[in-house]
Amino acid sequence: MLFGRHTKNPIKIADKGVTDWKYTTCGYCSTGCSIEVGLNAQGKAVAARGVGDASVNQGKLCIKGIFEHELFNSANRGSTPLMRDKPIDAYVPVSWDAALDRTAAEFKRIQEKYGRDSVAIVSTGQILTEEFYTLGKLTRGVIGTNNYDGNTTLCMASAVSGYKRSFGSDGPPGCYEDFDHTECLIAFGSNLPEQHPIIYWRLKMALEKRKFPVIVVDPRVTMFAQMADIHLPVKPGTDLVLLNSLAHVILKEGFADRAYIEAHTSGYDEFSALVAQYDPVTAARICGIDEDTIRHVARLYAKAGAAMSIWTMGINQSTHGSDGVAAINNLNLITGNIGKPGGTSLSITGQCNAMGTREWSSCSGLPGYRALEKEKDRETIAKFWGVNPEFFPKQRGMFMTDIFPAIETGQIKALWLVATNPLTSMPNTPRIRKTLQKLEFMVVQDAYADVETTQYANVYLPAALWGEKEGVFTNTERRVNLVRKVMAPHGDAKADLWIFNELAKRYEQGRKMNFPPTPAGVFEEMRALSKGRMLDYSGMDHDKIEAQRGIQWPCTEGAEKGNPRLYTDGVFQHADGKAKLLAMPFIDNNEKPSEDYPFWLNSGRVVEHFHTRTRTGKIGNVNKFSPTPYMEMNPDAAARLNIPHMSYARLISRRGDAVVMVQHTQRVPPDMVFIPFHFHECVNRLTLGLLDPYSRQPAFKQCSVKIEPAPNQQAAAAANVAARSF
Amino acid sequence: MLNVQVDKQGMAYLAPPGGGASTEGGCGSGGGCSSGSCGSSEGHAFKTRANEPAYTALPKSNGAKLNQWGKAIDLAEDHKALTGKSLRINNSEAISTNPERYKQHGFHFSADNCIGCHACEAACSEKNDLPAHISFRSVGYVEGGTYPDFRRVNISMACNHCDDPVCLKGCPTRAYTKFAEYGAVLQDPDICFGCGYCTWVCPYNAPQLDPIKGEVSKCNMCVDRLEVGLKPACVSACLAGALDFGVIETAPENREQTKLAIPGFPTPEITHPNIRFQQTKELPREMRRTDSMPLVYVKKDEISKGKNSYAPQVADKPLDREWNLKKLRSREDPLVLFTLITQAVVGAFLLLFLAPMVPIAGMEVLSYAAHPVAHAALLFGLLAVETFALALSTSHLGKPHRFYRAFNNLRYSPVSREVAGVAVFFNAMGAYTVLMVLPQLFTWLVPPALVQGLQTLAGWVAVVAGPLALYAMNRIYRIKARPFWDHWQVATSFYGSMLTLGALVVGVVYAAVLVAQGESFASLLNVLAWTMAAGLAIEGLGLIAHARDLSRGGGEGAASHRVQRTTYGNTYLLRNLGLALSLALVIALGVTHLDGVAGLWAWVITAAVILATATIGRALFYVLVIPTTMPGAFFWRNKGFEEHARETGLANMPQVGVLPNVH
Repeated sequence: MLFGRHTKNPIKIADKGVTDWKYTTCGYCSTGCSIEVGLNAQGKAVAARGVGDASVNQGKLCIKGIFEHELFNSANRGSTPLMRDKPIDAYVPVSWDAALDRTAAEFKRIQEKYGRDSVAIVSTGQILTEEFYTLGKLTRGVIGTNNYDGNTTLCMASAVSGYKRSFGSDGPPGCYEDFDHTECLIAFGSNLPEQHPIIYWRLKMALEKRKFPVIVVDPRVTMFAQMADIHLPVKPGTDLVLLNSLAHVILKEGFADRAYIEAHTSGYDEFSALVAQYDPVTAARICGIDEDTIRHVARLYAKAGAAMSIWTMGINQSTHGSDGVAAINNLNLITGNIGKPGGTSLSITGQCNAMGTREWSSCSGLPGYRALEKEKDRETIAKFWGVNPEFFPKQRGMFMTDIFPAIETGQIKALWLVATNPLTSMPNTPRIRKTLQKLEFMVVQDAYADVETTQYANVYLPAALWGEKEGVFTNTERRVNLVRKVMAPHGDAKADLWIFNELAKRYEQGRKMNFPPTPAGVFEEMRALSKGRMLDYSGMDHDKIEAQRGIQWPCTEGAEKGNPRLYTDGVFQHADGKAKLLAMPFIDNNEKPSEDYPFWLNSGRVVEHFHTRTRTGKIGNVNKFSPTPYMEMNPDAAARLNIPHMSYARLISRRGDAVVMVQHTQRVPPDMVFIPFHFHECVNRLTLGLLDPYSRQPAFKQCSVKIEPAPNQQAAAAANVAARSF
Repeated sequence: MLNVQVDKQGMAYLAPPGGGASTEGGCGSGGGCSSGSCGSSEGHAFKTRANEPAYTALPKSNGAKLNQWGKAIDLAEDHKALTGKSLRINNSEAISTNPERYKQHGFHFSADNCIGCHACEAACSEKNDLPAHISFRSVGYVEGGTYPDFRRVNISMACNHCDDPVCLKGCPTRAYTKFAEYGAVLQDPDICFGCGYCTWVCPYNAPQLDPIKGEVSKCNMCVDRLEVGLKPACVSACLAGALDFGVIETAPENREQTKLAIPGFPTPEITHPNIRFQQTKELPREMRRTDSMPLVYVKKDEISKGKNSYAPQVADKPLDREWNLKKLRSREDPLVLFTLITQAVVGAFLLLFLAPMVPIAGMEVLSYAAHPVAHAALLFGLLAVETFALALSTSHLGKPHRFYRAFNNLRYSPVSREVAGVAVFFNAMGAYTVLMVLPQLFTWLVPPALVQGLQTLAGWVAVVAGPLALYAMNRIYRIKARPFWDHWQVATSFYGSMLTLGALVVGVVYAAVLVAQGESFASLLNVLAWTMAAGLAIEGLGLIAHARDLSRGGGEGAASHRVQRTTYGNTYLLRNLGLALSLALVIALGVTHLDGVAGLWAWVITAAVILATATIGRALFYVLVIPTTMPGAFFWRNKGFEEHARETGLANMPQVGVLPNVH
């Protein structure tokens, strides 16, 4: 020692006694990080670390992943099925047989009485692909309701819709490695540092090696906006105008890739006629970005050897979300930036397996990017599953956002929720609360018994968490990665796959069909069904996926590796093999600030929380960074309304009201406030959520509110505490 | 050169030794050992893995010899005997052979890059298995500008393993050691008795006092990882290219600056911290905090201090005066009583011992001979209250049963010296009392003259030790990281209280005795009144100068004073009026020679005013201090939110990360 004690004690450093590290893939967002969970000698999960040689995260994890092992022992996990006659009764613990028998019997009774589609199933982006596939098989092939959707309608539906409209199929064409090749990047409504920190790290490392311009389009001065070379503080809901105008400049000034347009796109004439109306002068007045900047960005992007666009909810969650995605695709098509290293339209996906549900759950059609509308697809699947093809509907049924209004008006009488929490996540939750009370029967299947929807359910099925079962996730860059079973499910909770299979057994049709009991068995079916298709899984199996730390589809049978990019040959999935340039006029239909409701209300994520906090809200070392909701408010606006920093304010919209703690910050403009969406009984009590006409995704981020100081600060604080108690 | 391999996908990771696959527990660190030198991780506390990414490897230094303060970076240069020893981490006897093991290491933080993602904090808490309410590393921020020309600067801060570790010097138990290995300042919770003094002196809020465990713990530089050639967990987890680590003064790859400070960082002059910064992006002139500390950071004259040099100023917040009497209660409540009582006891003893020797009319009644019973009762009474005070201050410790460790650091720690001083005073006063009141216990054994001599000696020892103890007590609060305390007013306040309260105690006891005996107490209290007046005047003058100097000084001291005039504005006013009233009353009583029942009542009222004023004043002294800590975030490390969480019951949920009150 230099100074201090003369006789040194041994240094004690926490040793968690990890004896075994189990490979798995993170169960939060869709970045797709490979993670190892450390078990001690007693088999308890005590540590987590990023897998050092994983392509995606290269040893890194974000705050949520670093503490993901604590989920196994988190509070209020469901350990036994619960049942009650009516939601006004108290829950009684029951056996799995009792719960599943009742569920099947009620579904059958209601379908018999009100018709096949009177039962609705709303799933998630959180469970394993094998489970999605099995749920789809159960729903489409056995239960037979067409009102089946995933909560991905709240997050990625517009991306799916935009990809389908532009390229003829869903499937993000790029990958993270594009950061290492691009010469210009625009992020539309994406806050990587907060939402996808590991993807941000990949971008940052690419920038450390080789600087290229980064442009961030966001109405808030997020960390990403601060780090950008150019920040475009766009007016809420006007991205399409900006995008059309960028295309206008590129076409007008002759920077477009004529050869690419000619060879690989259709619809140019209509498209160019439409964007001709969006000159920068006109556009600037609508989107709030000055005309010179629009021209500058357009030139920068078009002149770059390779340029890429990424986006997240800023585009997807708006009334023209699908158009916004298609407009980003337009931008990249006219500059020839699809399917080449560093040139791509890459949607940054939300949930760990939003991609898996898009690919395999049959929510929007049939497995493997097949459509109900195509006879050939119906027949292929009917034959493969052993179902009468006429049993399938010939058109997709309701989206999640149409299912709830149909419950409200009585067309749907039963609801099965799988790992989703609409009482917190849907817009206008006061309406959802009223709606759920109208159901005759509701089942909630979730890892947590305290998920808010259980208040209105008749049956609660305790599900295994990520890491308590085996299967695959697909990430943002189409990388299929493996979740190994780290430990046995909590209490008597069961893997979702087991629950689906057991429910299938309660139907005569289900007993006739083959429902493989193991994830690997299900994976074999997916391999077979994907062979030769765009999303080809046939070259993968669970062990190979783990060995490569994830494989990007397509990976054809016999191929050693997957493929980082789609459409490298310029051949698209539309019948003519071309991508469509779409002409999309801007329709200004948002609920904009008015005299009575003078503020834009914006919502979004914080890095420490995931979705509705059922998981992150219980882990102290994660939750403590925002243990209660808060609102970012411009101090100038707050001063006018006499609302102090750290006091409670009351917000009122045309839907309802909410009370929230105020943080003064110049991050937001004087006519906008921002509230994280994670918290129960908060921002979504206010939101309108107008639906995108194509994707039916709600515009969470655009509505108007008025704000006043909470009249009684103590009562506001008490109400806030009550809403946080898990 | 690092032993880095690049695989087919272009990913670099540390090569296992011998180029082959390595198994868990074997040396996977390989190239992680800087210059390939640390050999194997076999036997080391930290188990490496085969696929460790290259970015976690400790980099080589640039070979600089001196740091920016002129101190040698090679810590073993003059201490060769210290080299080649095992750190015995978790009883591992392994020793890293990294040639830079004895160089001062430190963090490097690129403030331009930090995104506030909490990965460093989380990785640290995960590795060190910390509960939610404790964190060795914290990220806070300052922000400035106007939308959309807005900048938020996040600052990630842990222990800076300072050249001059004030924690180590302040710790009375010597729980801290600055190691030659990496220059790490490590704290041993097994030695700590939880007084929390290190948390007072550290300008960076690095030591963390856990009220549940009753001990402090802090950043350990991940020396277990360093020993196998890996950067600390927080650095390895950074997702923004912000946090890095290496030999001090060596800028990481792609970084050019090794600045000593950035806006929001306390002055490095106090401790010479081993952290360096890069901050190249221009910031707005004024950077604000989001937590409840009323501070902003304002750009200083660019020419004299260089660009982006910022100084703390008081935030321009409304000047609403409040009471907040409830908030006067704090964890330091026992210290409010301990300091006041000890000062009173020292003062009273000085009067009892010295007064009879002073030829002033009225004082002679204080001698043992004049009133043996009263004198003895008072001495025993003083012993009793001081015992109570010592018990209180011991109960203030996280681990009271380790109280004896308080003497471990007489060389550096004012806490040790204070405790020693008070202990000597207390024991000498005890000896004096026993020898005076019960000499027969000893006279059968030794000649009475010797007993008499010992008694006088004990008295003089106590007379010298008492004020010295109070001086050490005053030194405890002269903390550079706590500008509100770091003022000579502490001395005037403590010695003022000694005179005021000491005289008050003596006066109360003797007045009662004299009244009971039907004698006049006027002349005694007349003399004591002037003693009290002197004490009150000294304290008052100190407070006036304190307020003036705080306002002028700026920074955290001025912020404390702002809080004193706003949040506690009415309470502060009450205390000042109480002090003025006390002074007026004792002077009036000293002049008027009021006697009898009327005089007694007047004195009782005066005593009540003095005691109430002293208690409020001392409580304010503890709650008002604003340390030079790092800025907090909106929730985490925000004192305002912590208080709110405790008041509203949010803190009762452990996942909120704020402990409920543990009084």
